[in-house]
Amino acid sequence: MPFNQKPQKFNANINTVEIGCGDKAIKLGGECTFPFYTFDAPTENAPKVGVEISDMGLINVPGIQEYYAGAATMAEIAKKAEAMEGADFVCLRLEGGDPNGADKSIEELIAVVKEVGEAVSCPLVVEGCKNVEKDSELLPKVAEALQGKNVLVLSAREEDYKAVGAAAGLAYNQKVGAESAVDINLAKQLNVVTTQLGVKAQDIVMNVGSAAVGYGFEYVVSTMDRIKGAALSQNDNMLQMPIITPVADETWGVKEAMASEEDMPEWGPLEERGISMEVQTAAAVLASGSDAVILRHPKSVATISKMIKELV
Amino acid sequence: MFKVTFKFENGEDVTTFAQEGEILLEVARKTNVAIDAPCSGNASCGKCKVKLVAGEMNSPKTRHISDEEYAEGWRLACVSKLTGDVEVQVPDIASAYRSRMKVADLSSKEEIAIFDQAKSDVEAAGITLKNSLDIIHVTMDEPTLDDTMPDNERLMRAIKRETGVKRVRLPYSALRKISVVFRENHFDVQCIVRRTANDIFVYDVYGRDEKVVIGGLAIDIGTTTVSALLVNMQTGEILGKASAGNGQIRYGADVINRIIESMKPGGSEKLQDAVVNETINPMIEQMCRSCGFSPLHIYRMCIASNTTMNHLLTGMNGDPIRMEPYIPTFYKTNSLFASDIGIRVNPDAHIILAPNIGSYVGGDITAGTLVSMLWNRPEFSLFIDLGTNGELVFGNSDFMMSCACSAGPAFEGGDISCGMRATDGAIEACTIDAETMEPSYSIIGDEGEKPIGLCGSGIIDVISELFRTGIINPKGKFVREGKRVRHDEYGMGSYVLAFEEESGTVKEVEINEVDIDNFIRAKGAIFSAIRTMLVSLDFDISMIDDVYVAGGIGSGINMKNAVRIGMFPDIPLEKFHYIGNSSLSGAYTMLLSKEAEQKCYEIASNMTYLELSTVPSYMDEFVACCFIPHTDTSLFPSVTEQ
Repeated sequence: MPFNQKPQKFNANINTVEIGCGDKAIKLGGECTFPFYTFDAPTENAPKVGVEISDMGLINVPGIQEYYAGAATMAEIAKKAEAMEGADFVCLRLEGGDPNGADKSIEELIAVVKEVGEAVSCPLVVEGCKNVEKDSELLPKVAEALQGKNVLVLSAREEDYKAVGAAAGLAYNQKVGAESAVDINLAKQLNVVTTQLGVKAQDIVMNVGSAAVGYGFEYVVSTMDRIKGAALSQNDNMLQMPIITPVADETWGVKEAMASEEDMPEWGPLEERGISMEVQTAAAVLASGSDAVILRHPKSVATISKMIKELV
Repeated sequence: MFKVTFKFENGEDVTTFAQEGEILLEVARKTNVAIDAPCSGNASCGKCKVKLVAGEMNSPKTRHISDEEYAEGWRLACVSKLTGDVEVQVPDIASAYRSRMKVADLSSKEEIAIFDQAKSDVEAAGITLKNSLDIIHVTMDEPTLDDTMPDNERLMRAIKRETGVKRVRLPYSALRKISVVFRENHFDVQCIVRRTANDIFVYDVYGRDEKVVIGGLAIDIGTTTVSALLVNMQTGEILGKASAGNGQIRYGADVINRIIESMKPGGSEKLQDAVVNETINPMIEQMCRSCGFSPLHIYRMCIASNTTMNHLLTGMNGDPIRMEPYIPTFYKTNSLFASDIGIRVNPDAHIILAPNIGSYVGGDITAGTLVSMLWNRPEFSLFIDLGTNGELVFGNSDFMMSCACSAGPAFEGGDISCGMRATDGAIEACTIDAETMEPSYSIIGDEGEKPIGLCGSGIIDVISELFRTGIINPKGKFVREGKRVRHDEYGMGSYVLAFEEESGTVKEVEINEVDIDNFIRAKGAIFSAIRTMLVSLDFDISMIDDVYVAGGIGSGINMKNAVRIGMFPDIPLEKFHYIGNSSLSGAYTMLLSKEAEQKCYEIASNMTYLELSTVPSYMDEFVACCFIPHTDTSLFPSVTEQ
């Protein structure tokens, strides 16, 4: 019997969210198929890859140090990140703002944000320090400082969505990242309350949470898979926001990427392990439904962007 | 030794003595001063607040007490150690629980309408309201020097002659009475007996002309509330009705904490004593006094209660109920008498226990199912008992399935900072003006009663109204500002229903985000249980023909509001029926009718039990339900329309 292909047609699309300005602007989402199901319909916008940099400087990984060699200021680092092969956007993480860490002042951080904002012409994503109290003060200031640049602000969470959502989505016309903890219902609930605040659904990008592969990753797969399923097959417009997944943050902190070669000689070279974790996790979240990933290592960025090109 | 004085707003001071370092809550428990401590003294619930009037205690400030409150003298009783003589004020909201036994005024038809309804429902199903208790008249020859048979043999022989039974039994309590009663009445007497085919058991003897009423007692023992009916076993007439907080409440708000408490040395006795001697016996006394009836004339009882409650009542080992694989001592037992557990009625009174189905679906549900009449209809009905545990039964005359979910004590006012039982001073209904955000409410009690707290139906109304008026978002967080909306130092929002000057207690009546969150979990537990059970049967919500809601949540539960917050399925409101305390009305019909009792055993053995914790999708469903009305709004089309 000959193979008779029946395309799986959905009468719904993931929202298209544009980030950045000018000819370097990118579009996230827009698809009406499951991830990489190009045999059902062409993929509207290929998934995007972002490069993560931090206000705390570069991590001590030779390949990363080498790539950014000579870059002394945040502006220079950002320019290098933008120029990375396969990079679609830059993500600035303000981890130094964490009150339990370096506890940098908001003024100090906003200066970094402005410096990076002026240095790059590609789309910019800014991530807070993850502390709810600090972020609810810091992120509105970020949104204000980058007015007109159409950036994505990560993240509004259940605890601070009012402050972050109102500033980024309403007052300063940026895009709002809505972050929840690996649960389809919590993701939808946050989208509902954020839109009730007045933020347009088309201005929201979800970060539904992630994990490094092997670290409870089944939950991540099932959550993303079910979100795409509900968005497309049930036309649930409170789940039709594209998904962005900060991968680097998860993968560079696990023991596979940190245990030294002296301790774990049988595991092989440290840097390769870190890249491997980053690449595997990124590939898996993309296959599960992410519309964008955020990575750190130049090799990971190159590998994943090549994978996307070949699959779309 | 230090002197400890407990002061009350309405009531006399209680004074006791205690050692240095003793915990105030423990001292209160020993002295029978009821301080509400749902978490059983773990400093986690924050409900055992008392106010220092004089003296000092070693009492750390906890997260439940603001700086301002601490300065005013508010302390948590469970963390307060004695360091000297002390006087504390116990606020009304905390003591409202046990105290306030309520003997109902039966002149109002409403009080008994629900029981009349239950009675006529079971009769309509072909069950005769007949029990084995009876009065028989016995005329004996008076003894003479030629007829020297002793009194007891004379009675037994006369009864055998008149009734034709082969065996007559005369217990000690009746034996003691006959000599005097026979002689005062010239051996012409009436006997209260239990008749079976070949056997008569004599409970009591009375003179020929005495007006004799066979008393019976139906009791519902809830985790939070105990209610009882005193009835005439022959006519079914209700002679008295009373309710009170379960005296065990000071040992924990939920069944698990109670079981843990019962496993401590002497714990089983303490818990049995709390429910029997502090709760049931005083209720019997007061009810009997109010209608001039002797407790000794109560010859039979029927008790409906959850599995833990009937185990603690009977002094059984409750520990296996809470431990896997959750096996109780009994589902049903016939061998229990009032004297066994110290209930002060006729010592030979037999206790019928409504049968349990599992460790978490007990006799309160089988009795409730009996009077919901679910088992007698071809249509699919859903029976919901809203208590500290929420229990559901779904089915019809062909099948029945039950499940239990842990809703927590929120429906009865527990876990809510200003929550209370549905008793005097409780706000039972509320509306909020969308523009001014001002509340208007009705309060249980006499006219002019000031609000002290919120009972279950009031909480449903308040949350539904806060949501309707856009003051809270679907997550239960405050999103509108106004005079009555406040935020504490940590940003937690609250809505003030009654400012201090408007309320009937020393504190304001308010509802905060933590309360709302607790309630959303409770309603989420109920609705996710409904969904999970129906989905497991491959049923859709639209296939529910009728919903019967029972429980002590307050009689005026507003179904529209309950649907709006996503607690009950969005089906036409006329399909909802509030059937009151169905556990009590079930016990009432089982007491009056042997056939009803048998039916209840039959229901229990025919019901399938679904253990929700073994259903993988339950947790997911629960998270989806913790949203007003629901994350999947298509399940609540009527709410979305508004």
